[in-house]
Amino acid sequence: MPGRQLLEGKSSRVTDGEQHRDGTVDILLQQILNGLSIASVITLIAVGVTLIFGLTGIINFAHGEFLMVGSIVTWLAVSNGMSFPVALVLGVLAVAIMGLVLERAIFRFTLERPTNGFIVSLGLIVVLQHVVILFWNANQKSIPRPLTTVWEIAGVRIASVRVMVILMTIAVVVMTYVMITRSRYGRALRASVEDRDTAALMGIPVRRYITGVFVLGSALAGLGGGLLIALFPITPFTGGTMVMKGFAVALIGGLGNLTGAVAAGLILGIVEGFSAGYGFSEWTDAYSFGLMILVLLFRPHGLFGGTSGPKMA
Amino acid sequence: MNAILEIKGLRKQFGGVTALSGVDLTIHDGEILGVVGPNGSGKTTLFNVVTGVHKPTAGTVRWKGQDITGIPANRISRNGIGYTFQQAMAFPGLSVLENVQIATEHSSASAREDFAWPTPMSLLEFVGIPGLAGEKAGILPFGSLRLLGLALALATRPSLLLLDEPAAGLNDRETASLVGLVQQFPAHGISVCVIDHDMKLMQMLCKRLIVLDFGSKIADGPTADVLHDPKVLEVYLGGEL
Amino acid sequence: MITSFSSLRSLVPVLIVLALLALVPLMGPSNRFLSLAISAGINIIALYGLSVLFGQTGILSMGHAALVGVGAYTAALLARDFDIGFWFSIPVAGIMAAVVAAVIGIPSLRVSGHHFVIMTFAFGQLLTIVLTNGGEYTGAASGLDMSKPVTLLGSDIGDLQNFYLLVIAFVTISAVASWAIINSSYGRTLRAIRENEKLAAAIGINVGRHKIGAFVVSGVFAGVSGVLLAYFLRHISPGQFASFPSIYLALMVMIGGARLLLGPLAGGILVSFLPEVLNLDPVQSRILYGVCLIAVILFLPNGLIAGLADGWSKLMGASRRRAVTASAVSEAGQ
Repeated sequence: MPGRQLLEGKSSRVTDGEQHRDGTVDILLQQILNGLSIASVITLIAVGVTLIFGLTGIINFAHGEFLMVGSIVTWLAVSNGMSFPVALVLGVLAVAIMGLVLERAIFRFTLERPTNGFIVSLGLIVVLQHVVILFWNANQKSIPRPLTTVWEIAGVRIASVRVMVILMTIAVVVMTYVMITRSRYGRALRASVEDRDTAALMGIPVRRYITGVFVLGSALAGLGGGLLIALFPITPFTGGTMVMKGFAVALIGGLGNLTGAVAAGLILGIVEGFSAGYGFSEWTDAYSFGLMILVLLFRPHGLFGGTSGPKMA
Repeated sequence: MNAILEIKGLRKQFGGVTALSGVDLTIHDGEILGVVGPNGSGKTTLFNVVTGVHKPTAGTVRWKGQDITGIPANRISRNGIGYTFQQAMAFPGLSVLENVQIATEHSSASAREDFAWPTPMSLLEFVGIPGLAGEKAGILPFGSLRLLGLALALATRPSLLLLDEPAAGLNDRETASLVGLVQQFPAHGISVCVIDHDMKLMQMLCKRLIVLDFGSKIADGPTADVLHDPKVLEVYLGGEL
Repeated sequence: MITSFSSLRSLVPVLIVLALLALVPLMGPSNRFLSLAISAGINIIALYGLSVLFGQTGILSMGHAALVGVGAYTAALLARDFDIGFWFSIPVAGIMAAVVAAVIGIPSLRVSGHHFVIMTFAFGQLLTIVLTNGGEYTGAASGLDMSKPVTLLGSDIGDLQNFYLLVIAFVTISAVASWAIINSSYGRTLRAIRENEKLAAAIGINVGRHKIGAFVVSGVFAGVSGVLLAYFLRHISPGQFASFPSIYLALMVMIGGARLLLGPLAGGILVSFLPEVLNLDPVQSRILYGVCLIAVILFLPNGLIAGLADGWSKLMGASRRRAVTASAVSEAGQ
């Protein structure tokens, strides 16, 4: 088989400068903080995956590549002398536009056949990864940390950049949540998730909501990408592992269930933090796959209950 | 007459909604029984529970003395209970002949050696569409599709055939020829249970009628009697029976 | 009901093509050409399995390379630990891959509808992780070497020309096996499931069991293909069986069209040789593969060959009412 070179580079794990290995409690707290900051990024993906699935039944595995593109754009902008906040905004915008284009050009033709949407997304993974490699090679890319302060509180060293990632994620997720639960657009959106056909009959422009959700989900992935590269170096293959985790989180939370995704994101973050803290880091990728399989088998609607996607004939 | 299918105290609840509340029903060997009732009366739920699509909340289904409550759909048919769907169905991408071949191949051959239509072609001749054998089932007009559905159900060599609204969507001429076919079944050792709300069809086909309303049986007896039962008349709002 | 004249008609073109391909070494092809052709052939063997699964039963596996991997690792481990050679590895690897397919298939097919595709993908990934973390036994990320030569009647037949002919022989066996399945009553049962699951159950078909059966059958093909791969590459590693190779296999089967016996052959050859013909480097060719996969799904859900045949018959005005060219892909999970 000509797949000679390894496609899935493992997501790069650098040992963080702020880690100090003295005192188990301190390490644990630090690992949990680390886990939570990664979980933030994963949650951003999971929210996108869950919203898109809820509305269209499409499981977009290329969502991880959306994140990776967000990282790349942020990296390009920072490398060209822009400040991190500007670069982050550019990353979000670029990925949002990419989501818009891909939804209009490709995914809308797979709405009747969600399996086709899934396969198309696998094709997109290959395309996006290798387009990035074509232009910017397959090497690791990193930016200088936008925030370098490290606070030391009672022996626990807290990197401000991690706190920033966590706080930004909380802010964005809360905003999304309020938008979905409080605004009339959110109500229409939830109605469409419940029953696409009935919503359409009630005059809700479901197609436009689908596009909107794709753009929103893509923007969140772009944000996740920008935040990720602030934490770690990334490669063109980073998206692959991240989406599996994001998808596992979405699934555990119940596909289509926003609150569930956030809760599950927390759980996975803490589990991964512990696991890395106790030296099982090479298996962290397996957790998401394993969890995903188990959840699909025993709780296909997730731990917190989700939709099974739009009703198909 | 022997009872071949005995349903006792059949209940089915979907969440808080009771679709069937303790229905008793017996189908005798060699009869054509009709089950009628307005929409939402539980007819299709009854059908789905017997054919293994839904598991009942309570109650038993006994087939020739054996408990078959809640066994999966494919084993129902292997036990000799054939059925057709409300929506006419076939394997659209395969030829009409292939459709029937498949059904024949999965009949429990041991059950009925003496079957009147031993080959797929003889079945197609019986239902009157032998000329369409080579066509893809997906291009059949609706009437022929219904007939193919009937041939498929027959091909499993059933002793009991459950027909869910077999004449829905058929014109009068097609309905009449369908009635002609179904009336021959008892002579070939196939009992029939028709589920429908079309009283005209029921009068043509069935000697005995059961009426369901809100998940309960409200009448059971010879067709003529049932049709004059005041309770039934009330359900049908003094309708033109 | 296996042999009727009309069903033979689908086999003959395939046999003719394979006979012609068997003559290729006489023209003195380059080693590069032979290597590519061997890779293509090894993939085609797995594709014939996928054509039973996807083309006949209508379910798609996006983790099929993992089953090829099971075959390859079985061969490598048998050679290393038990001194067992090529010929005995073939049945053992076939069975191993079939068993793994059953292990994946039994739980996966319990989950409803289109989640099956995701399950196969996830299991494929999981297997790669397991192989990578397998330590000494599986050679971890660097993989395993194949130390034994391929021998026939005591003499080494491992050179490229002979290996090419060996692969052609296995492709022929796979094609015939696939043809026999398609034209048996078993194949008809699988098609019934593809066309209408509910009705299939109503006429007495055990849908779940036959779906798992089809997955297991496709696993046997994948396992055999894995043995050939291990003996051809002489070195195997987990990355070769990860998600891209699975996508690559799915692309081949979709481009060729899974329902026609000629489909896997055409898909395998086209996809393998296209980058060579267009003179693309590996990165470019992967982009092309991705684009092709998307394009095929959107425009030619029945495959390129079926699409061309359709176009041809339309052009000839011979098109009958084609109310049901139900999309092949759609049924993958429904």
